[in-house]
Amino acid sequence: MAIAVPTTRIAVRRWNRHRAQALSATVLTYAGLAAALVFFLGPFFWIVTTSLKGEGDYFAYPPVWIPDHPSLAHYIGLFTRSNGARYFANSLVISSLSMGAALVVSLPTAYSIARWRFGGGMLNVVLLVLRMLPAIALIVPIYIMYKWLGLTNSYLGLILIYTVLYIPFAVWLMVGFLRDFPVEIEEAALIDGCSRLGSLIRVVVPIIAPGLAVVALFAFIATWNEFLFAIVLTGIETKTVMVLVTSFTTGGTDAFYGEASASVVLGVLPAFAVAFVLQRYLVKGLALGGTKG
Amino acid sequence: MIGFPVSGLKRKQWEPLAFASPALVLIGIVILFPLVYSFYLSFRDFDLSVGPDSAFVGGRNYAEALFRDGRFLGSVWNTGVIIAPSLAVELLLGLGLALLLNRATRGRPIITALLAIPAMVSPVMAAMAWRMMFGVKYGAINNLGRQLGLLDVYFDWFSSPFMSVISVVLVEVWHNTPFMMLVLLAGLQSIPQELYDAARADGATPWQSFWSVTLPLLKFTMAVGVMIRLIDLTKLFGLIFILTFGGPGGATETVAFNTYLVGFKDFRMSYASALSYVIVLGTLGFTLLFLWISRLRETRAA
Amino acid sequence: MKRFWPAILLALAVVGVVLALGGLPSQEVRAARPYEGVTLRAVVNAEYVKYSLSLVEKDILDHLGIKLETEVIPADAFVAKTLLEFNSGTSPWDLIMFGPSNMPDYGRHFEPLEPWAQKLKLDFMLDDIADVYKKLMLRHNGKIVSMPYDGDVHIMFWNKVAFERADNKKKFKAKFGYDLAAPLTWKQWDQQAEFFHGWGWDGSDKKLFGAGASYKPSGSGYSYHWWRPRFFSYGGQYFDANMKPLINSPAALRALEEMVRTMPYYPPGVLLFESEEPKTMLVKGEVPLLVSWTSTGKRVGDARESVIAGKAGFGLVPGAEIDGKIVHRPAITPGRAMAVSRYSKKIEPTMKLLEFISLPDQSLKIVMDAKTIMDPWRVSHFRSEKFRTAFPGAGEYLDAIEKTFPLVVPDPVIPGADEYQRKLSFEITEALAKRKSPKEALDSAAREWDKITERRGLEKQKAAWGEKLAEMKAIGIEYRPDWAAKAK
Repeated sequence: MAIAVPTTRIAVRRWNRHRAQALSATVLTYAGLAAALVFFLGPFFWIVTTSLKGEGDYFAYPPVWIPDHPSLAHYIGLFTRSNGARYFANSLVISSLSMGAALVVSLPTAYSIARWRFGGGMLNVVLLVLRMLPAIALIVPIYIMYKWLGLTNSYLGLILIYTVLYIPFAVWLMVGFLRDFPVEIEEAALIDGCSRLGSLIRVVVPIIAPGLAVVALFAFIATWNEFLFAIVLTGIETKTVMVLVTSFTTGGTDAFYGEASASVVLGVLPAFAVAFVLQRYLVKGLALGGTKG
Repeated sequence: MIGFPVSGLKRKQWEPLAFASPALVLIGIVILFPLVYSFYLSFRDFDLSVGPDSAFVGGRNYAEALFRDGRFLGSVWNTGVIIAPSLAVELLLGLGLALLLNRATRGRPIITALLAIPAMVSPVMAAMAWRMMFGVKYGAINNLGRQLGLLDVYFDWFSSPFMSVISVVLVEVWHNTPFMMLVLLAGLQSIPQELYDAARADGATPWQSFWSVTLPLLKFTMAVGVMIRLIDLTKLFGLIFILTFGGPGGATETVAFNTYLVGFKDFRMSYASALSYVIVLGTLGFTLLFLWISRLRETRAA
Repeated sequence: MKRFWPAILLALAVVGVVLALGGLPSQEVRAARPYEGVTLRAVVNAEYVKYSLSLVEKDILDHLGIKLETEVIPADAFVAKTLLEFNSGTSPWDLIMFGPSNMPDYGRHFEPLEPWAQKLKLDFMLDDIADVYKKLMLRHNGKIVSMPYDGDVHIMFWNKVAFERADNKKKFKAKFGYDLAAPLTWKQWDQQAEFFHGWGWDGSDKKLFGAGASYKPSGSGYSYHWWRPRFFSYGGQYFDANMKPLINSPAALRALEEMVRTMPYYPPGVLLFESEEPKTMLVKGEVPLLVSWTSTGKRVGDARESVIAGKAGFGLVPGAEIDGKIVHRPAITPGRAMAVSRYSKKIEPTMKLLEFISLPDQSLKIVMDAKTIMDPWRVSHFRSEKFRTAFPGAGEYLDAIEKTFPLVVPDPVIPGADEYQRKLSFEITEALAKRKSPKEALDSAAREWDKITERRGLEKQKAAWGEKLAEMKAIGIEYRPDWAAKAK
C-alpha cells in the first residue's frame, strides 16, 4: 500500500491526527483484549494457585493470592490416594481412541455426502436433532444394553458411545473441507487407475490433513470433557478425570479444597494444550464444530 | 449445501452407502436402539428402586409432564430465564471481542487461542472453579472486590433466586462467549475488504460502515451461532449440578437438571424418558420457530 | 583393645543368631494371613469416605492379607448407579457403603450376616453398638444385613467465649430479661441468633453472625434436618396411621415460619451450605451457635484450624417447653452403614473384612480422625480414654452425644424414604429462599408426599409406616396436635 507522504502543513496535521487516532484505536483495542484476557483466564490462575496452597493458606484471612509456601501436597495426594494418575491415563486413552475412531469412520461418510450427496441434504437436519438430545434420554437404555453386552467398566464401551456422539460434527466439518477440495485432483488419480477409497486415502487426506487435525483435536477435547456417561458407565479401573472432579463435591469443597482444585487443573490441561497447538486453525474449527461433551 | 462439485465420473452403485456404512451401523447400534428403547420406556412405569420389571401405562407420563408437574413447568421457566440473558450477553460480548480481535494485527493467533480456552473446558471444570471463587469470605471474587473497594467480603452471590440466576449467567457467559467470539470472527474475516474500502470512499464513518457493511453480512453467522448456543443451553446441566444443585430452593433448576433429578434421584426412569422427549420436542419447536422468523426477516429485507 | 575383638565378634554373632531365630515365628504368623492375595472392592459416595477407609487399609493388609480397592461414585449419582447394577443381578463391588434410610430399596441386595457369622465364627460385637444405631442401621426384614460405619446424630455446639463474656451477658439480660446461657428451647435459640448477629461478640470489631445451618438441596436435602427437630418438638409426626402427611400441620407451619423469620441472622451463603461450610464458620469463631453432625466436634477440637478448641460447649439440640417440661427431639440423620453385596463372588473374605473394620479399635481410628467426617457409633467409642482425651472438651462432647441417643427422631424409613425427604427439603428451601410462602411450601410438600405414596402403593406404605409409627410411639414420639399452640 503506497502511502502518499503529505507535504503541506495542513496535510501533515491531518496525517498526524489520523495517526493519533489510529494509535489510540490500537491502544483501546489492546486494552480491551487485555481486560478480556484477565476475565477469561483469571479463574485458571486462581485455581492453579489454590491447588498449590498449603494447609491453612486456603482459610487465611485476608487471603493470599500467591501462597508464600507453595506445596505440591495436594497433587501428591491426588495421584496417590485418589488414583489421579490412573484416571488421567484413562482419560488419555479413551479420548485418543475415540478421536481416532471418529476420524476413521467419519471421513468416508463425509466423502459420501460431499461427492455423491448421500442422504440428499438430510445431514444438517439430523445433526441439529441429534444435538438436541439430552444425555439423560440415552443413559439408562445404553447402560442396560452395555450391561447385556458386558461393556460397562470398559474402555470399548465409552469409546463406542463417544465416537458415535462425535460422528455428526466430525462429518459436518469434513464435508466443509471436502467441498472446498478441487475435484479435478481426485479425478486425475481415478483416471490413473486408483480406486475411490485409494484416492481418498492417498490423495485427499494428505492435503486436508491440517483440517483433519483440527477435527481430531476437537474430538479429543469433547470426549475428554464428557462426564455424565463417564460417571455411569465407568468403574474403578476406567474412571476418567471428570468423574474424579465430581467426587470431590460432596459435603462442600472446604475439606478437600486442595485436591479438588488440583483435579480441576488436571482436567483443563488438554484445553490449554490444544489451544496452543491449534492457534491458527481455531477460528475455522471451533466455530463450526463445538467442543463440549 | 447445493452447488459444491459433484464428481462427473461414473461411480459404482454401492459406493456411497458403503462409505457411509460404518458410521451408520455404529449410530444405529449406539444411538438409535437406545432412543427407541427409551421412547418405549416412556410409556411404561420403570422405577429403579422397584426392580427391572415395569408395566404399560400409555401416555400417562406425558400427561403428567405437561399438566400435573408444576416443578417441571417451573424448570422450563427457569431455563428460559437463564437462556435469554446468557444468549444476549454472549452475542454482544462475543461480537465486541470478535471486532477487537479483527482489528488486532499483532499477536492475533495467540490472543485468540488464549481467549478460546474457557470454551474448551468442561462445564464441570468451569463450575468447580467458579464455585470456589464465589465462596463467601475466602473466595477470589469477593476478596478482589474488597481490595478494589467494590464489594463486601461477605457478599453472597447466591443470596436470592435473582442473584443466583445472575451468578449462573455469569459463569455461563464466561464459559461460552469464546465460542460465539470465534464464530463471529470467522464471519468477520469472510467479509471482503473491498466493501469496507468502498464504504470509506463513499465517506462513511467507521460506525456507519459497521451498520451498513458488517452487520448485514454477519447476520447469517450470528443466526447460526445463536441457534447452536440456544440448543446447547437447553441442555444446561453440568454447570448447575456443580454450582448450585438447582438451588436456592429450585431457583436454578433447568429442564435437564430436573430430568436428572427425576431419573437419578426419584429413580423414575420412564418418567425421565418422557420428560426428555417433551424437552426435545420443545427445543425442536423453538428452533423451527427461530428459523422461520429469521427467514421471514431475510425475505422482507430482500 | 585388640584382645576384645574376638569377644565382641562372638557377642554379635550370638545376637545375630538370636534375632534370626526370633524372626522365624513372625514369618510363620505372616504366612497364616487368612486371605493372602485377595483383592476386594468397596464402593463409597465421597472422597472423604475413601480417605477414611485408607486409614485402616494397611492393617487390613497386614492382618488379613486383603488388598482393599475403593471406588468413589459421586454422591448424587451413587444410589442410581448402584441400584442399576444390583437390578441386573451383578455387582462389581463386594463391600457397599450406603445410607440406611435407603435400606428399604437396598436391603434385598445385601447378604445376611448371621449365617456367615456362625459359619466363620465371626463376632460383630453387636452388644457394643449403641442401641439407637442397632435399631436403625442393621436390619432388613428382620435379618441383620449391615454394620454401622458412621453414626450421624445432631447435637448443638456453641462458642463459650460468646456466652461467657460479661459484656455480652449484661447486654443480653437487659434486652431479653433472662441470663445468657446455651439455649434450651428454640425460642431461646432464635432470640440468641438475633442477639448475636451483626457485631463482634467475641470482643473484636468484626461483623459476626447469629447462628449456622445448612440449606442446600443436594444429597438428600439438608434443610429438612434443621426443620425436623423443631417440628417434632412442637408435636409433629410424619404421617398419621392412614398415611396422611402431617407435614403441613400447625406444628410444621410454626417450625418453618420461625426458620423463615430468622433467616436474616444466618450467614450469607447459607442457602447453599452443605455440611462443612457452617462448621468452618463455627471453628473460625464466626457463628456462636450451630446444630450439626457430631463430626463437627472433631474439627472444633483440632487446634490446627479451630480457634475455639477448648472453648466450646456441647449439648442437646434445643427443644420446646411443653407444660413446664422441655421436650428435645434431636435428629438422627441416616449416617452410613456397610454391607456385603449378595452378588459378590467373594462373600467369605468380605464378611471377614466387614468384621475387621467394625472392630472397636479399627472403627475408633476411623471415627476419631477429624478429616473423615465419620461419627462414633460403638459404646466403646464413647468410653475410650483415647477419644475422651483427644482434644479439650472431648469428654463433654462424647457425653453430649450419648445424652442425645434416647431422644432421637429417625427418618421415615419406608420405601421411597429418600424421595420423601428430598421433596420436603426442597419445599422447605423454597420457603427459605422466599420463592413460596411457608404455607404454600408445606402444602405442596404434602401433595408430593401423597403422590409418592400413591406410586409406591398405599397399602404397602401403610404397612411399612405402621411399624415405624409404633416404634416411635414406644419411645414417646407421637403426634400431638395441641402442642403447636402451647409450646414455648
